[in-house]
Amino acid sequence: MSSSANTNETRSWLWRVNPTHAAGHAGLLVGLLVLWETGSRTGLLDPLILPAPTAILAALWQIAVVDRLLWGHFGITLYEAMAGFVIGSAIGIALAIGAALWEPFRRYSAPYVVGLQVTPRIALAPIVIAWLGFGTTPNVAIAALLCFFPPFLNTMTGLLDVDRDLQEMFRSLRASKRQVFTQLMLPTALPYMMAGLKTAMTMALIGAIVGEFISASEGLGVLMHRFTFQLNMAATFAVLVALTLMGLLLFALMEWVDNRIVFWRHDERMQEISRKRAAREAGRAATETPGTARVAPAGRT
Amino acid sequence: MQVSQDMTMARAKASATTVVEARGLDKSFGSVIAVDKADFEIKRGEFISIVGPSGCGKSTLLRMIAGLTPRSGGSLSVNGREVTGPRGDVGVMFQKPTLLEWKTVIENVLLPTALKGRVSEADRSKAQALLNLVGLQDFAHAFPRHLSGGMQQRVALARLLKIGSDILLLDEPFGALDEFTREHLNLELSRIVSDANVTSVFVTHNISEAIFLADKVFVMTPRPGRLAAVVDVPFPRPRELSLLANPDFVDLVARVRDIFSKGETA
Repeated sequence: MSSSANTNETRSWLWRVNPTHAAGHAGLLVGLLVLWETGSRTGLLDPLILPAPTAILAALWQIAVVDRLLWGHFGITLYEAMAGFVIGSAIGIALAIGAALWEPFRRYSAPYVVGLQVTPRIALAPIVIAWLGFGTTPNVAIAALLCFFPPFLNTMTGLLDVDRDLQEMFRSLRASKRQVFTQLMLPTALPYMMAGLKTAMTMALIGAIVGEFISASEGLGVLMHRFTFQLNMAATFAVLVALTLMGLLLFALMEWVDNRIVFWRHDERMQEISRKRAAREAGRAATETPGTARVAPAGRT
Repeated sequence: MQVSQDMTMARAKASATTVVEARGLDKSFGSVIAVDKADFEIKRGEFISIVGPSGCGKSTLLRMIAGLTPRSGGSLSVNGREVTGPRGDVGVMFQKPTLLEWKTVIENVLLPTALKGRVSEADRSKAQALLNLVGLQDFAHAFPRHLSGGMQQRVALARLLKIGSDILLLDEPFGALDEFTREHLNLELSRIVSDANVTSVFVTHNISEAIFLADKVFVMTPRPGRLAAVVDVPFPRPRELSLLANPDFVDLVARVRDIFSKGETA
């Protein structure tokens, strides 16, 4: 079908581990860890550059369970990334809808959009901090700034990619402009939007961390900074592991949402919906046989 | 042959109301004349095929009747009212199934109703009945992506019938399907529209398909797109696929093909 379908499918191979290969994956991981650990123990790897996996694990245990230092910072970074994601994506999608529906806006805003895209937006971080001061606010803003672009571009592309024949069909059925937007353009754009939002989620996390690196008093970025200054590399790597876990959590969340919203790009989910609808229809037919003209509202998933 | 002639005459007499009337109908795109001064009438209940090579303006003619393409000149009325845009008494079926992939089969059939307002329980029963009619009773809750091309066009046909208009415009609806599926669907289409008692206009570039389905064949020649002839088709209904081998049928195909070759030499 369209390019966005491919985006979804390429994502799903990353996401899904084929169970027949599970042993291979586990074996490879254990092998690498053992190699790494051996390298550290024999003094081949300098612990100031790359601490042993067991040392990292111990540090993670220390900051997460013994000191309970990690969780507050974890929460702050998660908050910054999520808030930035929501704000950035909302602005991106809103602007994209405006640009898609209103040609002059699209035409006149295009140069600025390109300008903003070619500027390494992360370079705006010090400026944003100078404007907004300290605390979490500038980091939310940086995350929003960094992640706004993919939802914007993908939403606009999706809205403008509506099949011409489908448009003709809607026209022949005398659909209103509003109906064309809500029932044709928006559903067409949804797979694109979701692909953009997935990228945005990753970028929002980058934005939050970079903001924390530059200036903040809380967050995992701050914690990493602090540990590197103390030359506590094991703890630094432990924070990095926590960040990876956060990234994985957010990625899984987006995959789940994608599966729900853009169900027609996921075969298993589609078949599940088909089965449920058929079962409901059968149930309704059974309850309505005694001649009662009860009108059940047409439900949606 | 005499009997079938009489039957056709009887059909024509019983339903003599004109539903589509065109006088000097013109369409040009810039300097290209797509349809040149077409005059024709379509009577209630008739099945009309428009046949011609690519670029003869047959699709343009259909789209003008549908109100999807504005005409450049002449007059065109449907059910006594001038055509100014898409309208409720005319339904269109396209070459592509044009189904919404995020809606189930039955939701797709109900789309024309949903766009007009609320979908009632009666509408749902009607949609299910139409799915039975096109042989898709077991696929109401499937999604279009899980259906074959032929099945998708059946859904599109059910949706067309759900509009409830008395004039059906079909723009090469089975043109993208394989030969076997197409013949089969043509046979079903023929049965369905004669039961539904509607007027049909069917565009195709396949001469024998055009004749097989139609009461009258509009033959169009290209550059400029011109309605070259209207050929009456005398064979009785219901028609079977064996008709394709009937000598009279073969003769008629040759006669229509002749019109094209004359058009080229002229």
